[in-house]
Amino acid sequence: MEILVLFVVLLLLLALGVPVAIALFGAALATFAVIDIPLVVAVQRMAAGISVFTLMAIPFFIFAGDLMYRAGIAERLVRVADAAFGRMQGGLGVVNVGASMMFGAVSGSAIASASAIGSSMVPLMEEKGYPKDYSVNITVTAAIVGLLIPPSHNMIIYAAASGIGVSIGDLFLAGIVPGILTGSMLALTAWIVAKRRGLPKGTFPGWRQFFRAVVYALPGVMTGVIIMGGILSGFFTPTESSAIAVIYTALIGTFVYRSLGWKGFTEAAAKSVRTASMVLFIIAAATAFGFALALLEVPQQLGGLIGMMTDNPIMTLIIINIMLLVLGTFMDMAPLIVITTPIFLPVAMSTGVDPVHFGIILMINLGIGLVTPPVGSVLFVGSAVGKMPVPAMVRTIWPFYLTLIAALVLITFVPSLSMWLPQAF
Amino acid sequence: KPRLSNVFTSADTHVSDYPTVQAVERFGQLLSERTNGRLGLKVFAGGQLGNERDTLEVTAFGGLDFNRVNLAPLNSIEPTTRVPSLPFLFESTEHMRTSLDSEIGDEILATLERHGLIGLCFYDSGARSFYNTRGPINTPEDMRGLKLRVPGSDLYVAMVKALGADAVPMPLDEVYQSLSQGVIDGAENNWPSFENGRHYEVATYYSLTRHLLAPEAFVMSKVSWDKLSAEDQAVVRQSAKDTVPYMRTLWDAQVEKSMKVIADAGVEVNEVDPAPFTALMTDMWADFIDTPEQQALVDRIMAMRGGNS
Amino acid sequence: MRVISDWLVKFGAAGLILMTAIIGWQVFGRFVLNSSPSWSEQGSMVLMIWYVFFAAAAGFREGSHIRIGLLEDSVSESAARKIRLVINGVVALFGVVLLVYGAQLVWLVWDFVIPSLGVSRGAAYLPIPFCGLLIVLFAVTNFMAEWRGEKVQAD
Ligand code: NA
Ligand code: NA
Repeated sequence: MEILVLFVVLLLLLALGVPVAIALFGAALATFAVIDIPLVVAVQRMAAGISVFTLMAIPFFIFAGDLMYRAGIAERLVRVADAAFGRMQGGLGVVNVGASMMFGAVSGSAIASASAIGSSMVPLMEEKGYPKDYSVNITVTAAIVGLLIPPSHNMIIYAAASGIGVSIGDLFLAGIVPGILTGSMLALTAWIVAKRRGLPKGTFPGWRQFFRAVVYALPGVMTGVIIMGGILSGFFTPTESSAIAVIYTALIGTFVYRSLGWKGFTEAAAKSVRTASMVLFIIAAATAFGFALALLEVPQQLGGLIGMMTDNPIMTLIIINIMLLVLGTFMDMAPLIVITTPIFLPVAMSTGVDPVHFGIILMINLGIGLVTPPVGSVLFVGSAVGKMPVPAMVRTIWPFYLTLIAALVLITFVPSLSMWLPQAF
Repeated sequence: KPRLSNVFTSADTHVSDYPTVQAVERFGQLLSERTNGRLGLKVFAGGQLGNERDTLEVTAFGGLDFNRVNLAPLNSIEPTTRVPSLPFLFESTEHMRTSLDSEIGDEILATLERHGLIGLCFYDSGARSFYNTRGPINTPEDMRGLKLRVPGSDLYVAMVKALGADAVPMPLDEVYQSLSQGVIDGAENNWPSFENGRHYEVATYYSLTRHLLAPEAFVMSKVSWDKLSAEDQAVVRQSAKDTVPYMRTLWDAQVEKSMKVIADAGVEVNEVDPAPFTALMTDMWADFIDTPEQQALVDRIMAMRGGNS
Repeated sequence: MRVISDWLVKFGAAGLILMTAIIGWQVFGRFVLNSSPSWSEQGSMVLMIWYVFFAAAAGFREGSHIRIGLLEDSVSESAARKIRLVINGVVALFGVVLLVYGAQLVWLVWDFVIPSLGVSRGAAYLPIPFCGLLIVLFAVTNFMAEWRGEKVQAD
């Protein structure tokens, strides 16, 4: 009965078109009223839900990503990729995937990656005769590869939500191979689609130009080296590394590339605080929702439901993946990680799945949710930077969806793809 | 009226087989037996409802009925709870148990009522000692310059600073990786937590300073308490008290188990002469004892020293 | 209204920049000075509550919060207008809840202390009732504009 209240209110408010955060909060509020919990608790859960040290990585990485875009670091990374791959048919599509992988790898934010790469690549590709739907499709789907390649703040959220001390270092290592695999598969798809649609190709600018591009991009590439190196050598924690990324990007943007002034810096802060707060506000509301979910023991009941449906490990993983894909269609990634990790992780572990492996499955699965309608923040970003409505965008996106699903299946059923690196170190 | 089909709710951040959780589960059984099933309890373990600071606030508001917490979050709510948190106040586990079993314990618990909490009983939390990745600690000199993680609490910060080390406030879930990558050199905790967080895998020196014997507390929401009849209130109080010996048995067994796991892992454990540590750490008492009420409690606990040990 | 929400975002941006500096200082203090600031962890967490609520409140004026607009897009314009009126009503109600229960929250924890900062726990929750009030203001303004048949600006 109380569970019914929780979900009916949530679905009603979502369907009505109320902001997702309010729908989550309203559902919690209604449930609290029914089970006689003071409503002040809902507000406390909301505020305390974002008073969490590890969540700071979200605003910081979004901020760093936006600074990279403004300082022209993103654009220089794109030029390197262009010089290397531009001459093949659909080469700029492949470049887009590569650029998204590099940027996403460093920033860890699919939203930042889609906005940075989208705003520089889509006009560039349009100039060279590529249709816009093709460029935007690649931009949004490749953006989620950054969720798998470290560092990734979503993995940090997962480690915290797991409640069993999953090592963030192991998660970071585990994401590398699946990330490169998914990126390569998307690049292949971009190439095949380009061939079938007869899209143009560019010319190789010559080695001189190529090395020039590499040299100009070097300080940007160093961001990744500094973040990973700093974490691995004990200078700072992964959470702190996100703040260091902001400081480093601001410094090289100002003093090396000289393309970022105080004005650009404060504008980036304003834009990032808008984006980050939108995400954190949903996480805050999801904390109140999650409190109701936990009190009503929904995780245990859903876990039991899967147990009743099957005890076959493969079937269990398929059911979990389908449930997550459906949830991801309606909700955003960070709150979903917070809510679904305690539900599905114990079930997955009972079938023998390693919590690190499960974290990687969760990343790509919920990442797919970011680019599927009706709720998908990366999809919205793509539609905004490409200046085209969502329906027109998704009409031709299916080869890329299929590629992501194929990658999900591979990552789910070949655990060694994820576990090889963390076990080697 | 208890919510959730007549069962009370209780929060705990430890995993479900941890002694504190087991003790509260036992409390629920006693409650059910003694009221012929009229009252019951459901423990939400593993921090699924939030961290201790947050669930403690929720309990004070009446959103949860019971809560089992460490003393650190209570320190920021009620100053008298700082007394049993003072380093080297208790000279032994025996001294800690007899002090808190006496009316002193009840008096401290009673001070929580003005903050919307009914203090029911204290549970053991063992002795906390330092562990680190560098080498064995024998004297405070060995700690100079070490970066040691502390929970976000003024008392812990002051304690580690008093020993000449760098106190690094850090959430518990970042400690393992920070130890393994060298962001911090060590931390401090009791045997079961040292084992449970698997910190012993990366910090291989455990030096038995036994600087803190602070207990944990089991509290009830005053909102829920006030809804009970006087008779049921008595049952709640008595049942909680009755779980204390049970918890201590579980605790001692848990410590034995953890000691074995840690020894088998090859951790170098060393005994430490507490005298120089005591000298440095008792100086800071004055910073945390600022009311005559607290001072009286300290004096009475000191007077109970040498009783059984 | 626009002026207010722009100021909220400016405050939020200042909070984000300040938080960057605090964490940078925390790393510097620990690694270079070998003396960690004890206030940086708690301080930045309080700051985060403040700027998230500020910027989120501004988001209700700017209409930037993520939502599912499917229903609105699939009905007639006059029905869509009614839906928008209801949505603004729900948002206003949400603002009222934040205002009333946020104020109660601040009141209830006023004598609790934030460790290492030494200030009241209520200070962490202080922006909530304030933002609740602004959300009510924004929602009512949007509602009135919608009622009069004006196009609510979205940017
Ligand atoms: Na990444
Ligand atoms: Na989606």
